[in-house]
Amino acid sequence: MKTLAGIRPGRFTLGLVIVAVPLALALLGPLFAGGSSGPRAPSFTLGGGHWLGTDFVGRDVWQQVLLGGQSVVLVALAATALAYLVALPLGLISALTHRTWLEELLMRPVDVLLAVPSLLLILLVAAVFSPGAVGLSLLVALVNFPDAARIVRAAAAEAASRPAVEALRMQGETWWRMAVGYVGRSIARTLAADAGVRLTGVLYLVATAAFLGVGVEPDAADWAVMVDRNRTGLFVQPWAVVVPALLIVALTMGSNLLFDAVLQRRKRT
Amino acid sequence: MIGLRSWVARRLLLGVAQTAAVVLLVFALTEALPGDAAVALAGDQPDPERITAIREALHLDRPAYERLADWAAGLLHGDFGTSLASGRPVSSYIADGFGPTVLLAVLTMGLLVPAGVGLGVLAARHEGRLADRLVSSVTLGVYAVPEFAFGVLLITVFALRLGWLPPTAVGYGTDLLAHPAALVLPVLVLLSRPVCSLARLVRAGMIDALASPYVAQARRYGISGARIRYAHALPNAIAPAAQQLARTIDWLLCGVIVVEALYVIPGLGTVLMNAVAERDVPVVQGLAVVFGLTAVVLNLGADLVVHRFSPRAGVAA
Repeated sequence: MKTLAGIRPGRFTLGLVIVAVPLALALLGPLFAGGSSGPRAPSFTLGGGHWLGTDFVGRDVWQQVLLGGQSVVLVALAATALAYLVALPLGLISALTHRTWLEELLMRPVDVLLAVPSLLLILLVAAVFSPGAVGLSLLVALVNFPDAARIVRAAAAEAASRPAVEALRMQGETWWRMAVGYVGRSIARTLAADAGVRLTGVLYLVATAAFLGVGVEPDAADWAVMVDRNRTGLFVQPWAVVVPALLIVALTMGSNLLFDAVLQRRKRT
Repeated sequence: MIGLRSWVARRLLLGVAQTAAVVLLVFALTEALPGDAAVALAGDQPDPERITAIREALHLDRPAYERLADWAAGLLHGDFGTSLASGRPVSSYIADGFGPTVLLAVLTMGLLVPAGVGLGVLAARHEGRLADRLVSSVTLGVYAVPEFAFGVLLITVFALRLGWLPPTAVGYGTDLLAHPAALVLPVLVLLSRPVCSLARLVRAGMIDALASPYVAQARRYGISGARIRYAHALPNAIAPAAQQLARTIDWLLCGVIVVEALYVIPGLGTVLMNAVAERDVPVVQGLAVVFGLTAVVLNLGADLVVHRFSPRAGVAA
């Protein structure tokens, strides 16, 4: 265990450093990008006043990079929050109820949904509707809530079987106080841990969907879309692909390292 | 072993329910179209002739339950309907894309287990030392990275800068085995996430197993280190890892779609993406059923295998 204690702070710093660059670009980039995109230059050129060259329709790559992180981060955050908005009540109710039929009714459909591959469900819906950013976050939340609901239920069922809940029930406390006041509070840590892991998974899914053209305009300023659309010019102008790809790698890799380090630290204290 | 049979029965029942859910969900797709489905699908070319053709092809004039029954009965006979775009049977699309996708999947699965277990055992043997720290940090980092970003960076380095490998499989057709160089990058990218997840789980399981009393006892008997690791500790370390197989299956199915799009491999994923772009609903439905049922069957198989080897571990059912 001595050695473990030696690693974790290092990993925490490493994750923080790796995630800081893409996160700062994503959140602050739009402020510095400037309003107008300026005159269009020829496609896939280098130099000529463009620090990172131009993209497939002749826009400045650096400006696109500044604008393109926001959508990935915001959609991922919204989707994670939405998934919990559904998963929390579902998991809490089915863990606290004493009626087996209600629990089965709530959790069986969730088990069934778990079998559908997540990207497949997103592509299926994209084939029929053309979801925007809101639609994409709803979809990603939809494929994430079954697993979250199961984790909430498992954690809440453990807390709900404690003598304290029995005492609260015998005292005639309200369902709200038992479910939210006691059980909700005692599972908060487990949920925080799961939320971190889930956010990285959601980031992956949002970026991949955008790469495949779901939930975004074909010429949107979005890192994943930039990778897809500028691939044709990879041999002429690699920066338009490499910079957004590196930013996505840093964002997902860094957040995973960071969450892992935070979790390990929590476990020890 | 009381309850094993009833557990298997419950798990099989869940599998049947999941199969039904996939078929219903995929069918519900055309029902969910806003307004007149035929008009919505005609999209950019809303001339009346095309709309009538679509309406006839999908039998939209008949009630939904009749179409569902027909479609489901067709699926049982391997009849997936006909494409709206080309009029060819959907099964011929599936037959075309089948080879490259299965080749990718088989290669990946064949390399996944030795690579993941090998890395995990290596890290566990050197717990806390440089090799472990390196393997742990790299697997943790790469684990969450989307395939397309990782893949495009590999193309830049190995195809563009170094020129060792072809950047895509363009021009090789479906016979990819004749061009193994074109397969290296796709398989590497497809392996990246599952290998990391497997290696991390095997490492954690191995560390627990190597610290257990039975391993200490085996050491006292003077049994060789390699035999303790691979014959005694590893089987116990694998059980928790095997539980995660279901998630790996999900990743592989998603990964195949992305990797085929990235490396322009004419497999099922490419067929699916083309059909999505053309809003060719029968083809999308046929492929979705194939992908969905593959996931259901593989999940079921993984659960049954895990339950057989470690009945203590609770598997959802």
